[in-house]
Amino acid sequence: MAEKHSPLDQFSIHRIFGEIKIGEIDVSFTNSSLMMIIVLVLLNVFLLLATRKKSIVPGKLQCLAEMSYEMIFNTTRDNLGSNGMKFFPFIYSLFMFILLCNILGLVPYSFTVTSHIIVTFAIAFSIFLFATVLGFIMNGHKFLRLFLPKGVPIYLAPLLVPIEIVSYISRPISLAVRLAANMMAGHTMIKVFAGFVVALGVFGVAPFLFIILLYILETVIAFLQAYVFAVLTCLYLNDSFNPSH
Amino acid sequence: MNNREKIKDLKRSLSKLSKSIDELKTDDKEEISESLPENNYKGFAQAFRIVSELFANLLVGASIGWTLDYFLDTKPILLIIFLIIGLISGIYTSYKSAMNWQK
Repeated sequence: MAEKHSPLDQFSIHRIFGEIKIGEIDVSFTNSSLMMIIVLVLLNVFLLLATRKKSIVPGKLQCLAEMSYEMIFNTTRDNLGSNGMKFFPFIYSLFMFILLCNILGLVPYSFTVTSHIIVTFAIAFSIFLFATVLGFIMNGHKFLRLFLPKGVPIYLAPLLVPIEIVSYISRPISLAVRLAANMMAGHTMIKVFAGFVVALGVFGVAPFLFIILLYILETVIAFLQAYVFAVLTCLYLNDSFNPSH
Repeated sequence: MNNREKIKDLKRSLSKLSKSIDELKTDDKEEISESLPENNYKGFAQAFRIVSELFANLLVGASIGWTLDYFLDTKPILLIIFLIIGLISGIYTSYKSAMNWQK
């Protein structure tokens, strides 16, 4: 009984259709994969429904879709310039996927995909690899200029180059840790206060009201972290375009 | 006698005036912050960004140092050096992102 109501129980992963293995690798269908598929289906249904009518005076759904589109469009243009607009579809789908994962995780009894650091790290690391390869393709060896900015005296290089390299490698980790830690901390806190509601009986009204406030905060954070993820992806891709900044 | 009373009166009205000015100012500030809802949570996102950058840089520095130590058999020296480098680069990275916000 007590184990079942642990605040961390919501993050546990369990298989849905039993164990499936390819060789040594466990590829079972888990609640995490189910949640990702639900997110993808909902995202497609939402965008298809919202853009079906294409009326000049947008309805509620169309308005929502246009708002998110315009926001990411402006962010991409501001950070990457018109040259980098070919990455807009990627950044938009990234933003919408993370946003929906975060927000659907707030629904009771659901599962937050982005609260697992391996999921966010997989996303962040693939962006990092892509940006690095892109940087070398676009700039050749000049991409290494990123680690030694112009105008820096050569005797500072032994100090500055390791610092810049560590700073560059830490990018995917800081991206992944930020998103996962935000999601996990918020959800754990909500569960802990929900435990107080049961334990305090009549006085449980106070933590209950606090949970309502926490939910508002969590919704904002869900949105904010998805946005920050998109913005930082733009910034990292921008470094691949013009490494000498 | 008369002059003193006048001074007292003037002082009282002056303090009233400054109070009402203060009230107007706080009203203005509240209005501004209410009109920009994203500003209320901007600092939150920035704080989290700096924390995660500091943490990630330290982690990367430590893991590079530990791995190099492991392969080069120089047990604690490189770990210490790269921990310091990680700390410096964490501060440097967060300094750079903070300077970007000021623009």
